[in-house]
Amino acid sequence: MAKSLLPGPEPSVSETGLLKTFSASLLVLLFGLGGLLYATEGGQAYTTETLRRAAVDREAQPIPDLRLVDDAGRRSGLHALLAGDGRVRIVDFVYTRCQTVCTSLAAVSQRLQADILAQGLQRRVAMLSISFDPAADDAPALKAYADRLRMDRSVWQAMSLAEPTDRRRLLDAFGIMVVPAPLGEFEHNAALHVIDASGRLVRIVDADAPGEALAAALAVGR
Amino acid sequence: MSLPDRTLRGALALTVLVMSVALSLPPGRLLIEQSMVWHMAVQVPLLMAAGWLSMGAMSQAAAWRWTADWNRYGLTGLLAAQVIFAYWMLPSAIDRAVVSPLADALKVTTLLACGALLQNSVWRAPVVLQLFIVGSAVPMTVWLGVYFATADRRLCNAYTLASQTAAGVGIAVWGVAVATAWVVVVLRHATQRAPEVPPARSRVGVD
Repeated sequence: MAKSLLPGPEPSVSETGLLKTFSASLLVLLFGLGGLLYATEGGQAYTTETLRRAAVDREAQPIPDLRLVDDAGRRSGLHALLAGDGRVRIVDFVYTRCQTVCTSLAAVSQRLQADILAQGLQRRVAMLSISFDPAADDAPALKAYADRLRMDRSVWQAMSLAEPTDRRRLLDAFGIMVVPAPLGEFEHNAALHVIDASGRLVRIVDADAPGEALAAALAVGR
Repeated sequence: MSLPDRTLRGALALTVLVMSVALSLPPGRLLIEQSMVWHMAVQVPLLMAAGWLSMGAMSQAAAWRWTADWNRYGLTGLLAAQVIFAYWMLPSAIDRAVVSPLADALKVTTLLACGALLQNSVWRAPVVLQLFIVGSAVPMTVWLGVYFATADRRLCNAYTLASQTAAGVGIAVWGVAVATAWVVVVLRHATQRAPEVPPARSRVGVD
């Protein structure tokens, strides 16, 4: 009964006796490293967020035709909205009660709005903030939010889901995960999503890189 | 470190196994869905411990003898365990395990296997190889824990930043604890071993 629970390495083995172990180890290393490289896009992407962006960069992702409602209570389909004026949209996701990071994100969006207006790009690019909390964010809540952020409706709209049951489809399509946080807040992956007029997600950039989002949007519109 | 009674060892292994797997099944699953601490600093180590203890409780001499040629000095097993462990330290892998029950089942089975492989392999290795494995895996784990604990943006989409910070501390503590335990075992064994005793023949549970 030679049990090796305690330290006690095997006696030396001749070199030919190690052939099987070396080949097995080599296979483990090859498959293991191959698997790890595959799972991380060749060592480039360690988080769900970077994987999601890489997937969009490789191939534009179709977005389902979600039913939206604006701050005046008008309903419209996302695809009709996009096709209607042919503008590229920079989309972000919000909930209007947000007090934490949203404050700084709102400042970024306001600067983006100012940039679009200053450069006269409002006929090519528009901004869309979609609420993922349709239960709380009805038309009046959206209106208060839009007013608070001084949205210029010709450039920037706040909308919510007309059908709360669309929430799952919305989050899945954009790869957003919403996590309940203390004090009734949510934490979610915040980013700027560039959608072309045919309803395809073509680019995702950091929420604090509005310049990059604008450049990507203009590249699509061309 | 080794319990004298086989039944007791079996009972301990079973308890840890049930606890660790229960965290992937309702209602325990709520804990790992809501907290990165429960997921990475509690369930992951528990699963590995369960694999380790189960392997230790099994009468492995006969059942695993056929693998001996393929796992001299525990080399193959140690490498496989390290690959499995590295994969489940990826934030994207942890996210996937939260979202997909299939990925979670894969996590449970591979981490149990990881613990079992470690138990089956680590003491076969010469101390130098043990040092190499511990010396690479532990700093990686501690570094990762510190990175999670100090990152100012979320790495897992499934968890809050506060949860990630706490989990990072837990992971770093586990890394230090494992390294300490290994040093203690090796030192204790080195001081106890009589010069004439052939290493592989050392008996269990009689000290």
